[in-house]
Amino acid sequence: MHLIQPRLHTRRAFLRRSGQLALSGAALPLALNLAAIGEAAAFNATDYKALVCVFLYGGNDYANTVVTYDDASYNLYSAIRGGGAGQTAGGIALARSALTPTLLNPATALAGGRQYALHPSMTGLAGLFNMGRAAVQLNVGPLVVPLTRTQYASADRSTWPLPPKLFSHNDQQSIWQSSSPEGSTVGWGGNLGDLALGSNGNSLFTCISVTGNAVFLAGDNALSYQVSTGGAVAINSVKSNVYGSAAVKAAMATLVQQSRTHLLENEYNRVTSRAIGAEAQITSALAAYPAANAPFSGFPASNSLADQLKMVARLIAARSALGSRRQVFLVSIGGFDLHDNLIAQQPTLLARVSEALTAFYNATAALGVSDQVTAFTASDFGRTLSSNGDGSDHGWGSHHLMVGGAVKGAAFYGTPPPVSVGSTAAPEDQWHVGQGRLLPSTSVDQYAATLARWFGVADSELAGILPNLSHFGAAAGRPDYPTDLGFML
Amino acid sequence: MNDVTMDWPDEARLAEPATVLKTDEARFAPTGPAPGATALPAVLAATALAACGDGSDPGAADGSDAELQAIRRRVRSGYPSPRSDAEAARFLLQAQAYATATDIASVRSGTFSAWLATQYARPPGPTGWDWLNARGYATIDSTTRYFDNTYPGDYMIWNQLMTAPDALRKRCAVALSEFFVVSLSGLDFAWRSHGLAAWWDLLVAHAFGNFRQLLEAVTLNPAMGYYLNTKGNRKEDPATGRVPDENYAREVMQLFSIGLYQLNLDGTPKTDAQGHRIESYSQADVTNLARVFTGYDVDMSQNVNTYDAVLNRNIPNTTPARLPMVLNASRHSTLAASFLGVSIPANTPGAAALATALDALFNHPNVGPFFGRQMIQRLVTSNPSPGYVARVAAAFNNNGAGVRGDLKAVWSAILLDDEARSPAGLTQTGFGRLREPMLRFVQWGRTFGIRSAAGRWKIGDLSNPATQLGQSPLRPPSVFNFFRPGYVPPSTALAVSKAVAPEFQIVNESSVGGYLNYMQGVIRNGVYVNAPDQPNAGSNASNGYDITAAYAAELALVTDAAALVRRLALLLCADQLSASTQTLIVNALNATPVTAASTDAVKLNRVAAAVLMVMASAEYLVQK
Repeated sequence: MHLIQPRLHTRRAFLRRSGQLALSGAALPLALNLAAIGEAAAFNATDYKALVCVFLYGGNDYANTVVTYDDASYNLYSAIRGGGAGQTAGGIALARSALTPTLLNPATALAGGRQYALHPSMTGLAGLFNMGRAAVQLNVGPLVVPLTRTQYASADRSTWPLPPKLFSHNDQQSIWQSSSPEGSTVGWGGNLGDLALGSNGNSLFTCISVTGNAVFLAGDNALSYQVSTGGAVAINSVKSNVYGSAAVKAAMATLVQQSRTHLLENEYNRVTSRAIGAEAQITSALAAYPAANAPFSGFPASNSLADQLKMVARLIAARSALGSRRQVFLVSIGGFDLHDNLIAQQPTLLARVSEALTAFYNATAALGVSDQVTAFTASDFGRTLSSNGDGSDHGWGSHHLMVGGAVKGAAFYGTPPPVSVGSTAAPEDQWHVGQGRLLPSTSVDQYAATLARWFGVADSELAGILPNLSHFGAAAGRPDYPTDLGFML
Repeated sequence: MNDVTMDWPDEARLAEPATVLKTDEARFAPTGPAPGATALPAVLAATALAACGDGSDPGAADGSDAELQAIRRRVRSGYPSPRSDAEAARFLLQAQAYATATDIASVRSGTFSAWLATQYARPPGPTGWDWLNARGYATIDSTTRYFDNTYPGDYMIWNQLMTAPDALRKRCAVALSEFFVVSLSGLDFAWRSHGLAAWWDLLVAHAFGNFRQLLEAVTLNPAMGYYLNTKGNRKEDPATGRVPDENYAREVMQLFSIGLYQLNLDGTPKTDAQGHRIESYSQADVTNLARVFTGYDVDMSQNVNTYDAVLNRNIPNTTPARLPMVLNASRHSTLAASFLGVSIPANTPGAAALATALDALFNHPNVGPFFGRQMIQRLVTSNPSPGYVARVAAAFNNNGAGVRGDLKAVWSAILLDDEARSPAGLTQTGFGRLREPMLRFVQWGRTFGIRSAAGRWKIGDLSNPATQLGQSPLRPPSVFNFFRPGYVPPSTALAVSKAVAPEFQIVNESSVGGYLNYMQGVIRNGVYVNAPDQPNAGSNASNGYDITAAYAAELALVTDAAALVRRLALLLCADQLSASTQTLIVNALNATPVTAASTDAVKLNRVAAAVLMVMASAEYLVQK
């Protein structure tokens, strides 16, 4: 029943399969190609917008990040996680009193008296939430179709398909980034870039990673361009004499960029060729926005996520010189796979996330683009609610954060999950699949669609980018899984 | 911790700072062909048929004995001996990642098989553990704090790779380290560098042994115990709701033995009636298998603490970092465990449960193709034909003497197979693999005989992709290694044909430049070392280029640019540099005249320029 995969039936997908897409060294504007084949799907933006994906590698423990705070829920959380008497810390449970400074105050209170606080180390993000500049998406994770726990547990995988390889790091990272498990070469961020290529002066600067290769930014035409936290890497041996020789410099420039018949040789030289072609433009554009100047100097030190976001901020500042109007960025921080030492190690990681994102928001505000830049978190998965002694295990649904002036902040989106690890028929046991691994009540497709719409993607294009989206929303008979979650202005 | 030698600000690193030590900063990557896509890209199918020689291909052989014998016989059929220096060098570059003139002569003196036999018989070289101790890195001192630092581990492994006498064994151990993964970047315990050395020494010791023993040693190794949480893993506690940690149970199946999907002998995935791949294990298998890995902890029986008054801390000795983990029966799960069709009754003693579990993994039919295919990818080519995979898997299943899991049989099957040895691969546009940056650097060091003047070999972490190699041995970003076996570079011709190129997962616009810039410096001047004369990090009057190549043979050829380039082409890439590339390089060298009367600096400039240009060429970078 769910073998229909709209993704395979768009014209773009047809082109992808038949290899007709341009595969030259520089990305070409897709707008012309698509228009020529009758899909006027690309948009031509006149304003600037950027999406920034902050990927938390390893599967972040949601239960100690967006922490259930109201007494009834907190007490359940504490009992499951080994908390101490009197709502004190214990096992892998945080003390309730430690959460008060980061209590989230939504403009409209959650039903049933539910409350959440951020992890105590996330004071910056809590502040942004309470100021209306950040929001929380509750219990989001990959879904092919909406699922109840009973449907998850049934053996009928035709009617109730599951995302493949749940609980496996690399597969779930791939599914978050591209709606497909291992085997995927195109991500939804890259597809957003495909639609935006025509809006940008240099299409190569549409999808930019500051963190290394990932499928998220790979499009059908859009390439993921890599920049280091220090800027574009200039290759000395093609820019300056080599050991005193201009002739060797010239030979190097030929050797490292020449086309080759061998497939691997050619692909390698294409990357080098792109690197050389782009470096001068990036370097000169960044020169006007040195890291030592405000607002970039306000980023915290010793925080590699902050370093990456600082580079993103500088690139955004330089958008005129780069001719950019629509960009998608990827940054990341790892270390979240806390099977052990959850209490000891998660605070540092979350502090980095909070401080980096707060500094980033402030920088965009100082640059006058805070309403035009939206950052959002993503991760392999959430984790179990139950403890293995001093940590938690791989999970599924998780809570995530959206930050930016265009975010309808001071609000929760999605449905607060019950706090439970039981397996009875009671309602509170229906939103996890064992050990408190959350069964998502919002899908990644819905989350991505909401961001994509803000970015400028037409509704008609969304199904091609997010293949499972057609299983959600009013059109699919599931208005309880809306394809616009409503968190963007 | 303050390693001044290779110190760079954390912000320049893409990997996480060392204080964030939990692993699994897992990089995704696609794996394997899409369901039903069992056909090779056209360019590679021809390779398969040509390599077999007899026009047939075992394909999805069912693994019966006669079938296996027939498959094995094909392995050594075509090319038993090198017919030229280039063929000898090509073999060496696949087998040990570098070739000296001496090595080439040695290979040419007999058959490939005989050379391998000699290497198998050679005893392992000095261990990393002993090297650390000999250089004082086991000293307990609150100022040097070797027990907390990772740089001794970096120095150890670079020294192993740059100087070890048993190069084949070391190359195979590197390949094993990218399958059974522990990362120095993810270790957080006292004596982590020693722990890493013990881990490395384990892979070296088992490299020519049996997969079953290796799997068990890996499972009980303390560094692995910390890395994937077997250490301290406790049985279920219904009172608190605690359940066993599942990390090792999942990864030992997903990565270290059977993989995600059921496989045919030739590595292609089995499919069901609807053409979908069939998962090899479920979440229930993981949860059950996790019970087996409970009750283990580091062996403290030989520990003696030293109290450090400055740090107000008890420092253990190094023994717990090497001794296999021990079982505390009271912490071992008492539940029954059912996984992969095996049942372990409740209250089974831990040792028996472990044996049953490891036997089940080892005997699973997936292991031969799953492990074999990845080892082919590490040594020879990224996209082996199904026939090649089947022959290697058959050798894993039965080494010819009825033994399953004989690693020597696997290495031999890989290196002696027609697909590796045949000249056909040299002209196929899809054959071969991108050399890994850290092994290009090792190749440079071994080819030109680099030496550490002060003898301390302080080469540190070179992971920075913008300023260094973007890769450092035993420091992958996660248990998923530096790259996934099934990585397909997006937006490439490879993506269109679904060919994989694992090593491209670390190729991007930053790392290609980092490699060239870093090599430009070291090729001419060597590795700059702070305080090369002392074991600990620091900076003193001895700072300088401590690790250098003398280039004696190259300097002897320096006035003849063409001869120089021919030599480099042979040693570095087995003559796989085309005439036009060699001409381009020679002409660039000749633009600056060099005679016998030229200064040493001018002569060194020419040698360095020649080496750099070769090592920058795509024909060198892609090993065929």
